Amino acid sequence: MPADSNPLDDAARQLADRIAAIPNLHGPLRLEFHADANLAADSSWQDTLRQELEKHHLTITEEPSAPLLRVGAVETPTQLVLTASARIGDRDDVRIVAVTRAAFTAPALAVAPVRIARQLVYETSDRILDASALGNAAEGGLAVLLYRNEDLVALRLDSSGAVKQTVFLTAASLHASRDPRGELTDKGATAEVLLPGKLCEFTWAAGAEPRCRAKKTEWRTTTVLTSPCDSSDWKLEARGDDWSSADLLQIVPDAAARSGSAALFNEFPGPILSINGERDPGSALIVARNLHTGNYEIYKITLVCGN
Amino acid sequence: MRFTKSLWFAGISAALLLLLAATAASATKRPRYGGTLRVELLTSSVSLDPREWKSGSLSAREDEKLAALVYDRLVTLDDYGRFQPALAIEWSHDAATKNWQFKLRPGVMFSDGSLLTAADVVASLQSLLPAGLQLTATEAGISIHSPHPIPDLLEQLASGRHFVFRALPDDTLLGTGPFYVAEISPAAPYEANPTAIKPERLKFRANEQCWAGRPFLDAIEFTLGEPPLRQLFDLQMGRADIVEVAPDLVRKARQDNLRVWSSAPNTLLALRFDEAQAASADDHLREALALSMDRDTMANVLLQKQAEPAPALLPDWLSGYAFLFESPMNLERAKEIRASLPANEAGGTEPLRLRVDAGGDLMKLLGERVAVNARQANLSVQVVTHSTSAGGGATAVSPANPPIGVHLFAWHYDSLSPRAELEALVNQLHLEQAAESAQTLADPEQRYAEERRILEDRRVLPLVLLPEYAGIAAPVRNWMPARWGEWRLGDVWLEKGESTPTAPNSGASPDNSAAPHGKGVHP
Repeated sequence: MPADSNPLDDAARQLADRIAAIPNLHGPLRLEFHADANLAADSSWQDTLRQELEKHHLTITEEPSAPLLRVGAVETPTQLVLTASARIGDRDDVRIVAVTRAAFTAPALAVAPVRIARQLVYETSDRILDASALGNAAEGGLAVLLYRNEDLVALRLDSSGAVKQTVFLTAASLHASRDPRGELTDKGATAEVLLPGKLCEFTWAAGAEPRCRAKKTEWRTTTVLTSPCDSSDWKLEARGDDWSSADLLQIVPDAAARSGSAALFNEFPGPILSINGERDPGSALIVARNLHTGNYEIYKITLVCGN
Repeated sequence: MRFTKSLWFAGISAALLLLLAATAASATKRPRYGGTLRVELLTSSVSLDPREWKSGSLSAREDEKLAALVYDRLVTLDDYGRFQPALAIEWSHDAATKNWQFKLRPGVMFSDGSLLTAADVVASLQSLLPAGLQLTATEAGISIHSPHPIPDLLEQLASGRHFVFRALPDDTLLGTGPFYVAEISPAAPYEANPTAIKPERLKFRANEQCWAGRPFLDAIEFTLGEPPLRQLFDLQMGRADIVEVAPDLVRKARQDNLRVWSSAPNTLLALRFDEAQAASADDHLREALALSMDRDTMANVLLQKQAEPAPALLPDWLSGYAFLFESPMNLERAKEIRASLPANEAGGTEPLRLRVDAGGDLMKLLGERVAVNARQANLSVQVVTHSTSAGGGATAVSPANPPIGVHLFAWHYDSLSPRAELEALVNQLHLEQAAESAQTLADPEQRYAEERRILEDRRVLPLVLLPEYAGIAAPVRNWMPARWGEWRLGDVWLEKGESTPTAPNSGASPDNSAAPHGKGVHP
């Protein structure tokens, strides 16, 4: 099995095996696909099925008089269902293979060369509120504030994404909240978490209890990046008012005099939930929810010169 | 979790460098707390007691929407096919999927402040899950034992009636959900004009102590029994935030630039033969009627392209294989079969009597369309409108109530398990069971074979599948319902709240002193 196989391709292979085992089914066969819009867009599983059928000596043809093999791929709430139906004599022989949808990874989004470098640095199914570069930014680690199973948690990750430290902030009697507002600032051995009406401080060292106090919340102001090309400033803006649709990150010249000039646009696969550019004037961390996968993702945005 | 180092230059940006005045809004806007969401429904009564709901009924669909505000389930299913923890934070099962263990979330409180216990979960789910399952409270949660494999237990628990509640001695139900019932104003005549009836209203208030966080809204007010046109008018006039949109009004709503949401087709409209009228026992008559049905016209003309022809009992989005079924219209063949039938079978003085079992003008129109299609095959069908429950109950036969031969009924899919849904349909419609045990229906190929067998028997004829439509006002934000129809109002917020926003995590408990909580409501 190829190392880069995905569950849908695996299911296509299984289906080909099952089709090949249908008694009295002989090629060449004419294929007719029926697929959900999401699955129709990805034709790799169809190619896999064709190849696997050929391996079983079931050749594929476009000839209209050839026996028809109807193949379907449908997303149900929990499964991807692949179905094949062949007419054998006076009856339809049907084979079905179902795989768990949760195991299916959506195909990567198309990539276009742009003047904004965007790097996906972390993703998880947990609800991320904020991400912050670690104090020792050169090492490339991250601090992440997220809800895990309705517990507020701060994570410290190394540059490989491995979790080095986990601090449960529920110890500070923080209730779960649907509010996505929360900011995490790493301060080396300690860190601060800003929540609506509260500021909490904790040390990354194990065993230390977070301390919270009431505080008028002053959220981060607009993130501004400095271009490495001409040192001009660019504001990062996102709509962020509708979590049900994809968001567009706008990178707008900051100076009022340049308000009519070019802006950069960068589409995200879902709503942008947080923008943090505190640590480095040349880059920012963006938290977004990927509406294709349901995961929360952290991107690093950097302005680069030219193409 | 993954950590990706690959640097990719992103963006769609059609040109990436576009000339644009920097008029963009400020950085990410945030949700606001507060406000009352006003919802209007067509149904004139609701029940918040899941034990009373009837599988597949349209009323259960509305009941479930309201109950989801008050109660939680053990698990939920997200839009990506992943089961998410709710009242259970962990679960496991043995290899045979006969023994399941659920670890309960600690510290969850009912809306009256009392703690949820494993005994509450066992008591509520035992009354809702199929008989034969044995539920037991354990140290950390509950266990469910079944004499047969239940690989789809999570699908069942994440949908339909499977809410967790506590039944108080007076039969009032308490829930742990994001809202609690604060006020019920029964339908009553207006004081100023006693001939007009003030519709029933239910008000739900935010549960400050909800384990998943306080909802953004302060309250949700439901007005029941509002006719479809009135609902649309109220949405346009800003008097409602969410309304149901009848299929025949969807086009108008869209033309009026209203925001219209539609679910996956979650309601089946179908015919069920009833041998109370002897002619229905004739397989040839059933075949002739089946071949005369013009489902495309029903979906595209009568229902104005807001429905789709139904070739199967379960929709494609639930079974994954419905596209394999076909139900072509063949009038010539239908006429041939009809010609071979006795003249008095669906003809002469003995028409086949069709009863419309679900309410609403559309159902009556669909019944008339069935009669028109049948007539084209020289079959006489007489439509009898007599509202009763889905599946049709027995009615005493008398000269005034001649025996019914076929019922037009509506079936709402309320389970995320295709096996459970097919089994419920078979039971509710009193269809003959196949020799295999119901458990084998967990296998999709056997389920397909069983569905084919039922369809070939032609005691039930699927006609069309109908999505659910809702009109959504512009200020409604984070409207992210599940495609199978779950509204998820706990996460909705209003752009402009009507009342003073309430701070989250304020620690204030809702005043439950007068709250009837989740009592079954039957005006």
